[in-house]
Amino acid sequence: MKRNVYFLIFMMLMMISVYFAYGQEQAFPTESNISWKPGFGFESFSRTIEWDGKESTSKLKSYYFTFNTDIELQSGLTLSGLIGYSFSSFNSLIFKELPFSLDLQAGSIGGFILGAGLQKNILSFKDIEIGAYGQFVYCLGVKENWEIPGLAVEGTAQGKPSWMRGKVGPIFSYEGYDYFQPYIKFNFNKLWGTFKMEETVEDLSGQEKKKITGKSLLEASLGAIYQLSNSLSFQAEINLLPYKGGVNLGLVIKGLYSF
Amino acid sequence: MKGIIKKADKLLYLLIIIFITTSTLSFQNFRSDKKIYYHRQPFQRDLKALNKGQPFHSKGIKYAPDQILVKFKPNLTKQMIKAEIAAYQAKKIRLIPRIHVYQLQIPENLSVEEMLTIFRQNPDVDYAEPNYKAYIAVTPDDVFFKWQYALYNSGQEIGPAGSPRGKSGADIKAPSAWEETKGDEQVIIAFIDTGIDFNHPDLKNKILSSGPDYANDDNKAADDNGHGTFVAGIAAAETNNSEGIAGVAWNCKILPIKAMDEEGSGYYSWIIQAIIWATDHEADVINLSLGGEEPAKSLRDAVKYANENNVVVAAAAGNDGASVLYPAAYDDYCLAVAATDYNDNWISWSNSGPEVDVAAPGERIVGPVPTWYWGPGSFPYGYGSGTSASTPHVAGLAALIKSIKPWLTASEIMNIISYSSDDINSSQFPGKDKYIGYGRINMENALVPIKITSGP
Repeated sequence: MKRNVYFLIFMMLMMISVYFAYGQEQAFPTESNISWKPGFGFESFSRTIEWDGKESTSKLKSYYFTFNTDIELQSGLTLSGLIGYSFSSFNSLIFKELPFSLDLQAGSIGGFILGAGLQKNILSFKDIEIGAYGQFVYCLGVKENWEIPGLAVEGTAQGKPSWMRGKVGPIFSYEGYDYFQPYIKFNFNKLWGTFKMEETVEDLSGQEKKKITGKSLLEASLGAIYQLSNSLSFQAEINLLPYKGGVNLGLVIKGLYSF
Repeated sequence: MKGIIKKADKLLYLLIIIFITTSTLSFQNFRSDKKIYYHRQPFQRDLKALNKGQPFHSKGIKYAPDQILVKFKPNLTKQMIKAEIAAYQAKKIRLIPRIHVYQLQIPENLSVEEMLTIFRQNPDVDYAEPNYKAYIAVTPDDVFFKWQYALYNSGQEIGPAGSPRGKSGADIKAPSAWEETKGDEQVIIAFIDTGIDFNHPDLKNKILSSGPDYANDDNKAADDNGHGTFVAGIAAAETNNSEGIAGVAWNCKILPIKAMDEEGSGYYSWIIQAIIWATDHEADVINLSLGGEEPAKSLRDAVKYANENNVVVAAAAGNDGASVLYPAAYDDYCLAVAATDYNDNWISWSNSGPEVDVAAPGERIVGPVPTWYWGPGSFPYGYGSGTSASTPHVAGLAALIKSIKPWLTASEIMNIISYSSDDINSSQFPGKDKYIGYGRINMENALVPIKITSGP
């Protein structure tokens, strides 16, 4: 828990310092080529998750709205950050170590999203740019309370999820068009997290912390950046994570404004 | 040869029916110091019904999360259907022949409900529905299961033709709970009673050891009364063996301890020794279908010892329409069990008082009796009534909880059983009351994960 708080503080400080660093530059223009692209984004994904030692699976469905910043520190090196609010559904997660076993079917649970990414262009081949991309996203869910139905006495359950996702891999983008930049990414994509459930029924109480991991690790992403005007760009991306027996999908949409 | 076998089968069934109908027994007035009473039941000739009419248990509505089944109207060509499917970004998995139903994979970003809504609005679609899942029912094949209304009550006749009908749902929800667990072989239920029939076909494979006999001061808890065999069978008879009845805890073991003599009475000293012996010999649950009117600190200390060593004690409230017997009345250490009938009503002969924790069916319960009980050639089963018959339902449930959650303390298991009960008399006595305590036990609530679907 403490680690999560430290991480959140670190991420916020990082974003604030980047913001102020940029602000300083605006106030006192220098020769620096740093450009800042704030904007809004939306991401949605569905991920098959495993828990109880990979014995059980269910789906994590999440969508979140974010405020993004892409900071081009130098040509070909972009640092990005995001902060936002998410809705994550852990339906069919079953807790059997509580006094009364629970089957979570309560729909989406809210949570705060923080993330950071880095992209570095490494080499160019004609109009093809080859780079490396990495992103880390952390979701800290809010505590949610539910009544436990069907008992002779009143009982409550309290759940709190958190999950993290790290992506890293190469990115191939085509620079041959003026206003349109398609790209393809191949990522090692790891998702992991916990869901802490507490139960209180009269004098009975218990808690269970369930570790979850994403079932698939390799992701292919196909996307494009549209330069709508000199300062406005739009990015769309679909993600595919195949696994034995199916494929998980994700969608990213971002609108960015360049200063 | 086949004809002979068929005739033999019919003869067998006929004998079963004759046994049941002519020799039902009643434990209604049973107490540790009283005899068992019997009463006759009308004759029954319905042989065919023995293996039929079993209740079907469904696991609930579940369907494939990424598939639907769609039937298009017959005037559409294959090309048109293909175009329709593509327009919805669905993918054909297969066309089920004869009925022309398409099994479709839906797009990842849409739920089954959303996709069904879209398809159902299309005038070219005859019908669209989820790809539901079916489950084999956990319904044991024991021949008398259909009369065990206590475990599953669909409103059926609770015995041979002419027997009363129960009220649908007036049961302890056993089949759905068995989906979760049928018990662990390592979990032991000790039956402190009149002993057990070691040769009973529905029990002999479940008995852990010969057990001590405090009534006769020897080392074999043989049943010379019948009560102990009956009670043990209700909780833990061998199940799904095409024989007799289903036990509440299919796989849990029976540890017989004889502390009641052939008359059905026993000194407290025998019972106390039996409780301590059971606790020291790794019993997880103790069934006490017995009780006395007098309190005794030594008896209280014995059940306290069991409780402190994580042994769940289930004890009969008694059948006199009076106050709760001991040791059931030792509320902190025992689950005091009252009796309900096949209509989910409290029975007036069931003892009452603030010590009553829960109730379980105790009227006309079918169970095993010793093989010698009815004489040679008879089938060793019969009916009984009383909190003696209610208590092993609770003991069986305690054993099942212990099977899947061995880390729980005895007191926690007692609370789970209490809090998961159905408050069947809430219209008259909301909350815990002196008649049925928290309510009639509900195995499904106690064992199956409870669905959390909405906020507070």
